Amino acid sequence: MRIALPKGRLQNETLALFAAAGYEPPDEADLASRKLVFRRGGVEWIFVKDCDVPVYVEHGAADAGVAGLDQLLEHDSTAYQPVELPFGRCKMMLISAADAPPLHELHVPKIATKYPRIARTWLDSRGIRAEIVPLGGSVELAAVLNLTTHVIDLVETGETVRVHKLVMQDVVAEISPRLIVGKDVYRTHPAEMRELVARISAAASERIERITR
Amino acid sequence: MAKQLRYPTGVRPLLVAESARRRRAETRVVSVLERAGFDEVILPIIDYAEPYAATGAVESRRTYRFIDRDGDLVAIRSDFTPIVARALAPSLAGSQLPLRVFYRGDVIRYQPSRLGTNREMFQVGAEIIGDRWVQADIEALALVTAILHEFSVKPIIVVTDATIADRIAGSEDAASRVREALAAKRRGAIAELRDELPPTAADLIEKLAEGTATTRDLRDYQPTREAAERLDTVAAACPGCSVHLDDVDRTLGYYTGLRFRAYDSATRATIAQGGRYDTLYGRFGTSAAAVGFTITLDDLD
Repeated sequence: MRIALPKGRLQNETLALFAAAGYEPPDEADLASRKLVFRRGGVEWIFVKDCDVPVYVEHGAADAGVAGLDQLLEHDSTAYQPVELPFGRCKMMLISAADAPPLHELHVPKIATKYPRIARTWLDSRGIRAEIVPLGGSVELAAVLNLTTHVIDLVETGETVRVHKLVMQDVVAEISPRLIVGKDVYRTHPAEMRELVARISAAASERIERITR
Repeated sequence: MAKQLRYPTGVRPLLVAESARRRRAETRVVSVLERAGFDEVILPIIDYAEPYAATGAVESRRTYRFIDRDGDLVAIRSDFTPIVARALAPSLAGSQLPLRVFYRGDVIRYQPSRLGTNREMFQVGAEIIGDRWVQADIEALALVTAILHEFSVKPIIVVTDATIADRIAGSEDAASRVREALAAKRRGAIAELRDELPPTAADLIEKLAEGTATTRDLRDYQPTREAAERLDTVAAACPGCSVHLDDVDRTLGYYTGLRFRAYDSATRATIAQGGRYDTLYGRFGTSAAAVGFTITLDDLD
């Protein structure tokens, strides 16, 4: 079994969850070695950029992985999402410069985002005509520098938005990380995949219980 | 200059060795079908898009379409099954049924999210037309098994009934949400559905999502009883098949019953898929039950 884990924001919590579920994911020392593939406890662990996890799982290069709903929606991923994980929750928000009018008052507003597909779907569902400006990162800057009037991006603590005196106008989606499992491998290796789902699901609920107790 | 080097995404020529291998594979599949009494039909590679609207064929956004010089919207073949139905439906009235036909050729599908996969695929497929009985379902599965056996592939054949989710959901509106939730196995979405469905239906959906539902559960629920009994008959007659009731697609397409996929256990790739579509021919003028499958040779040779 090969499991793709996201580097960055979700990495440490994800490793802790797999450890709590009785797996032997790589530890900090392993990760400091710059290796990308680790074989441990009968599992091959690979570390990839968070936006690439759905790609690896979709193509069967990894059997399962952990990915945010933002990445799953943006890739139009067909993978199963059987477990919602109890950490790393955030919101995808429509954000504007302080003096920008609401979207529907503009003729054809420009919106900067790392998530053009999600932005398009949301705008279409609201019947809003807008031009999407795809950017690779630091999307808020587009509104700060008046490249666009609005941006659509993830907001975790809201600190970036506050510092730049931007305004949160609307919630586009509630985002949470999920355990994802490839559809094909779920059919060809049902026993292994169901065990993975059951163990991660149990570890996730245990964690929720611990927090709420 | 760059265009002199490369091809459009997802297409490529097969050169001598690959072509020879492809033709050998094609011949082997065709010979199994001919021995089983299937006759070939040759179908056009482009056709008007309009007759296929609302047939549940491959979504229009995955089909290459263009306006021809007469001003008509034309689509390049992306799914054989509705094309076979449109071609054969008008002549079915005078034919002796069931009819057993096979076809071969390329389909072209726009695959946005599947990087590096073929957009042009070579398929061989077969249809049993005018037989609504479970024996035809079994015959189709036996043929798939026989063909894959020819290639020494150890197949994993997963069978279900495509209509289960819709039968449990009841209304069309609820069905699309049940499908969406089951196709992604999203626990949250499934929990939300609980309030909108009768308790028995909600319990069944939850069991389906967990993968613990059996045909016995479906037999106990009136709307799914018939489908479950039929599935049990199919499974009993197909020793290599395993029933996966939780294999639900986002959209129903044209399927009205049996739905199956065959995977290569070594590569985990889907190599054949098919099912039953008893209302498809009616949309082209003559009602006839039908069951069939396609094998994609790019995944096999």
